[in-house]
Amino acid sequence: MKSSHQPSQSWPLVAGLPGAQETIYSFFSPSFVTLSYFSFFFSLNPFSRFDYFKSLKMKLDTSGFETSMPMIGFGSSSDMLDGFSTVPSFDLPRTTDFDGFQKEAVQMVKPAKGTTTLAFIFKEGVMVAADSRASMGGYISSQSVKKIIEINPYMLGTMAGGAADCQFWHRNLGIKCRLHELANKRRISVSGASKLLANMLYSYRGMGLSVGTMIAGWDETGPGLYYVDNEGGRLKGDRFSVGSGSPYAYGVLDSGYKFDMTVAEASELARRSIYHATFRDGASGGVASVYHVGPKGWTKLSGDDVGELHYHYYPVAPATAEQVMEEAAAE
Amino acid sequence: MSIFEYNGSAVVAMVGKNCFAIASDRRLGVQLQTIATDFQRISKIHDHLFIGLSGLATDVQTLNQRLVFRHNLYKLREERDMKPDTFASLVSAILYEKRFGPYLCQPVIAGLGEDNKPFICTMDSIGAKELAKDFVVSGTASESLYGACEAMYKPDMEAEELFETISQALLSSVDRDCLSGWGGHVYVVTPNEVKERILKGRMD
Repeated sequence: MKSSHQPSQSWPLVAGLPGAQETIYSFFSPSFVTLSYFSFFFSLNPFSRFDYFKSLKMKLDTSGFETSMPMIGFGSSSDMLDGFSTVPSFDLPRTTDFDGFQKEAVQMVKPAKGTTTLAFIFKEGVMVAADSRASMGGYISSQSVKKIIEINPYMLGTMAGGAADCQFWHRNLGIKCRLHELANKRRISVSGASKLLANMLYSYRGMGLSVGTMIAGWDETGPGLYYVDNEGGRLKGDRFSVGSGSPYAYGVLDSGYKFDMTVAEASELARRSIYHATFRDGASGGVASVYHVGPKGWTKLSGDDVGELHYHYYPVAPATAEQVMEEAAAE
Repeated sequence: MSIFEYNGSAVVAMVGKNCFAIASDRRLGVQLQTIATDFQRISKIHDHLFIGLSGLATDVQTLNQRLVFRHNLYKLREERDMKPDTFASLVSAILYEKRFGPYLCQPVIAGLGEDNKPFICTMDSIGAKELAKDFVVSGTASESLYGACEAMYKPDMEAEELFETISQALLSSVDRDCLSGWGGHVYVVTPNEVKERILKGRMD
């Protein structure tokens, strides 16, 4: 037997069952309301609706409230509703962990990639920049990780996520690109290279690879920039930033970006974006490296220590603080 | 990350010759995001007694205020400043009062006792006192701090050398911690004066 619970006054369904409301209102706490009622009525299980109608005619026994009504169809959720055994009314899946998927979904969105990398296309080519910190939880394991990987002399890849994964797959991509060159007597396009990588990663989907990379290069069609991740996603774009520090980098990058920048302006913008991300994000830091990909290939423009960069942008004038002089102790 | 690592902190205190130094980092963050770089973790109880608190920032502020209040009350009644070991017992009692719903912070207490003998101690979040003769540490960077202090500490250092040592120990330890740093705050206390200094550290 299923016990009923009080439906909310505002619920339109209630209008059809005035009798039910009055009978049960006094016994049940009004807080156990509508959502379950709603699904109760529209549940796919025909029996639930039937049982409810049957119970309308019963006189409800209020003594021994909590234990006297066995709950059918509750299965595993009974421990959840321990103190509230009088509130049934919808079927729950019979599993031991029916809302674990929600926690998983939250975990999926969490920035697992503690880093900041960015790349953007402008008039003179592609600018690629990254920090150099590797962190394990709260501990900084290294301040000098190379996150910009040189796939071949005219293509760069950035590393975010698992270091081993990124390094291996980029090297693998370099091999495939070289094989393509040898087989076809011409360089592979950025579009083709990123497609190769995306397809490789797609075939390992769900196996726990963690790769959030950008492929930047210059081919016959001009500058190219693609974002590829471990889900097998591949996006073409003009501006990307990947990692836990990316919101901060986007803020600076988006407000300072113009297509017609010189190489010097663009490299300063990239460096500044990385610096601001390292300032705000705890998982980014170390050295801000900036690379430029032009028609003749890539060149490394700068690698500045972010600690010194802060005082370069915001110099501190040495100030004398007040000193509290005390009376000399008598003894 | 645990609740103690929600805001990020690093506090250290060291003993010298008739002087002591207490230092903390200045970052206030919400997990990985940095909110402020001038957060005060150390409060002055009286000229020869300082307390630094690491852990959840809201409890740091509340506990600092409560302890300053208690000391002011003591001063009104006893007409003198509290001795450091008495104060440590007071803090321990206050923390244990909340045994089943504790303040989520770990205090580091440093003071000059009778005959200007330096006194330092630390506690866990429910008031277990740990006295030490050389240095005490607490916060998210505590493991790095233990290593750095152990390596750099010498007994009977004078005030200037003590300042150098504690600053280097603090800066090198927070450079290995994502959640603390962004500058440092050092107080060096001798029988005659209190020197407060802000350290220029890595801001990443």
